[in-house]
Amino acid sequence: MKKNSMLRVEGISVSYGPVRAVDNVSIEVNEGEIVVLIGANGAGKTTLLRAILGVDKAQSGKVLFLGNDITGKSTDRVAKSGLGLIPEGHLVFSTMTVLENLQLGGYHNPREIDSNLESVFESFPVLRNRLDQTAGTLSGGEQQMLSIARALMSRPKLIMADEPSLGLAPKVVSEIFDILRDLNKKGYTILLAEQNAKKALEFGNRGYVMETGRVVLEGPTQELMSNPEVRHAYLGSNV
Amino acid sequence: MSSVLYYFLAFTGINILMCWSIYLPYRVGQLHYLTVACMLASAYFSGFAAREWSWPFALILAAGILIGVLISLLPSFAIGDAPCFTVVIVGLTIIFIFKTAVENSAALGGTIGFFGIPEVQHLLPLTYLLLAAAGAFIYRIDHSRLGRAASVVFVDKNTAAALGVDVKQLGMFFQIAAGGIAGLAGTLYAFLIGSLFPEFFNLGVIGTLMCMLFTGGHSTMWGVVVSVPILEGMQLLLPSAIASWRQVIYALTLIVIILLLPGGLITKRTLVRFKGRSRA
Amino acid sequence: MEIFVAQLLNGLSLGSMYVLLVLGFNLMLLVAKIIQFAYPHLVVLSMYVCWAVLRYTDNMLLVVLASVASCIVINIAIEPIFRLLAKRHGLDINVSFVVSMSMALLITDVMSHLLNYGYPIAFPSDWVGKSIFSSGLIAFSAGQAYALFGGIAAVVAFFYLLYRTRQGRVLRAISENSLLSSIIGIPIVKTRVLSYGVAGLLGGLTAVMLARLLGSASPGLGDFVGMKVVAASILAGLGNLKGGLVCGLLLGVAESMAIGYLAGSWSNAIAFMMMLIIMLIKPEGLFGIRA
Repeated sequence: MKKNSMLRVEGISVSYGPVRAVDNVSIEVNEGEIVVLIGANGAGKTTLLRAILGVDKAQSGKVLFLGNDITGKSTDRVAKSGLGLIPEGHLVFSTMTVLENLQLGGYHNPREIDSNLESVFESFPVLRNRLDQTAGTLSGGEQQMLSIARALMSRPKLIMADEPSLGLAPKVVSEIFDILRDLNKKGYTILLAEQNAKKALEFGNRGYVMETGRVVLEGPTQELMSNPEVRHAYLGSNV
Repeated sequence: MSSVLYYFLAFTGINILMCWSIYLPYRVGQLHYLTVACMLASAYFSGFAAREWSWPFALILAAGILIGVLISLLPSFAIGDAPCFTVVIVGLTIIFIFKTAVENSAALGGTIGFFGIPEVQHLLPLTYLLLAAAGAFIYRIDHSRLGRAASVVFVDKNTAAALGVDVKQLGMFFQIAAGGIAGLAGTLYAFLIGSLFPEFFNLGVIGTLMCMLFTGGHSTMWGVVVSVPILEGMQLLLPSAIASWRQVIYALTLIVIILLLPGGLITKRTLVRFKGRSRA
Repeated sequence: MEIFVAQLLNGLSLGSMYVLLVLGFNLMLLVAKIIQFAYPHLVVLSMYVCWAVLRYTDNMLLVVLASVASCIVINIAIEPIFRLLAKRHGLDINVSFVVSMSMALLITDVMSHLLNYGYPIAFPSDWVGKSIFSSGLIAFSAGQAYALFGGIAAVVAFFYLLYRTRQGRVLRAISENSLLSSIIGIPIVKTRVLSYGVAGLLGGLTAVMLARLLGSASPGLGDFVGMKVVAASILAGLGNLKGGLVCGLLLGVAESMAIGYLAGSWSNAIAFMMMLIIMLIKPEGLFGIRA
């Protein structure tokens, strides 16, 4: 059964000066899917996500979200339309409290903040006890959870997660992936950019492999996992 | 020589020197308005030494430069690598203190002004000779190791420090050199104009210099050589009713130039194109 | 002792005016990432507005409304210039300083050409008010009371807005990390305009209180107050709101003490000398930069 397309990126390119960070990339994310972007550091994953959200401006190409053309729109409007990015490096407003961080996440639906808070606490019971703590004093894993929770506060239709495992202990990484999987079961569509190819491919339904700004391979994750090139380059096995 | 032409040439020369004294520390990203205080101190000292002590011109000139150097030397130990804006306010504060000191000193004429500075023979040609010398000095700095290091500091202090540049020492050097040039400008100003008023050294004079520097282009030393005569000349050519609004004109020009022509009239690229053509 | 108490009262009421200006200045620095050097000049311009309105009516409410409205409108009208500047140069506070300094010169020069023929303006004597308390050398005028208590009320309201309201939360979020703020959907431009508006509101109120405190204004007042406000912000550490609170008050008290104990025209130089020494010893400010 063909599912509804949620996000369609058509041939976008992003350059920083003479460096082409993303080169004519097209990807698609359908409703209910987990799509993973894998590739080495510097392959252009982060730039692609930033370009989708309008943080970095694309020189060419188009981004369609829920059927609307969002290319070139300002970041806050794109975010408001239902695209939630969990940025790299567990970014939180470190001088503000956990509660304030969550309230900021729900900026666009102030009336539903309380009900959203309740549903967020179901996924992240840790945060409930730390509401008045300054976010900067949380551990890395807790900050990443707060970052995810903050994105959920806006009730996004698509969650884009940028390297959520970066810099976290293996046990915490598994925890984060469990949470993301739970969210998918609850109906959230997820686009995940991840260096850890093995974890990502086990986790997702479909995947894209990026190298130096281009998509070099795509397909269901099972297929990618058995692809000899992927195995050689990213999974570290000698075929 | 007509007095209009005399004042045009005198002010053009002094303003180019003063613009250079602000250009130089701006190479490391600092707006060093302290040079206006150096100019003030050296101008008053020169006037006083010439009228009261009858010092010879050459001695006063040397002393004037030395005063500029000393005045910028002491604060530079603290603000050699300070954030740009702190340097700005330190400069403005010292200008204000010096101004108050002059205004309260009967020997320097107080708020009424200091008059009767003796004339010097062939001062205008001499001014331009000294201007050329100062220009050569700045050109040397610009094209030396220090100039290249400054360009890195301008873009990013941390990168420069990582490359082994002593950011503070470099900043101090540029501040002190700028102080010396401003000291020279102060002495020349005292003798060229013949009278001094504390009111002259206010925020307006800084606005004028900034307008000249940014209109000409802050990335090379040649920008002000073009912009200062134009802006000075404009002032003389305008009818006096409009010329009294010159502060407003300068301020508007500065805002418009920064918004629409961020690099100014002469940028590094202009120079490269110019050199290419003269070679071809 | 009496001189001390008298000057302490003077200093606190003057200092609370500095505090308000430092807060408005820092708010724009934190949220809009600009150095609005012309902010105190705008406040002086609003004092002229008060003065003009007072010629037609002595209704306090109307004067306050006119002052606040003028300060907000002009401050917000300036915002697109800084937005264009950021587009051209990136968020470079030093370039924003050069531009706002030009604006300051412009405002000062326009005031000295057009308003009251450049002569200082004087507010009606009942506007400054009789002394409501006096004992020996100590006199507390109505103007001082307005400045001190109005100042305290405005500071409390400002911090309430910033730390207890939804809009305040957004202002703080942008001041901490504007990129992250836009990623989670906070409208950056709109919030930046809000910060100009809040600063304008503070400025308009300060203008009324300054008018009552000082009783006069002149085109040169902007430069004078501007230098002190900016210096107090640097002493506190640029962008440090709570530090600004302390340094604004300290500056007011120090200045008043200098006036009380030292010869007239030198007192300002002394205040500047103290600021200079602290700036030279600690270029990053006493409480650390937060911008």
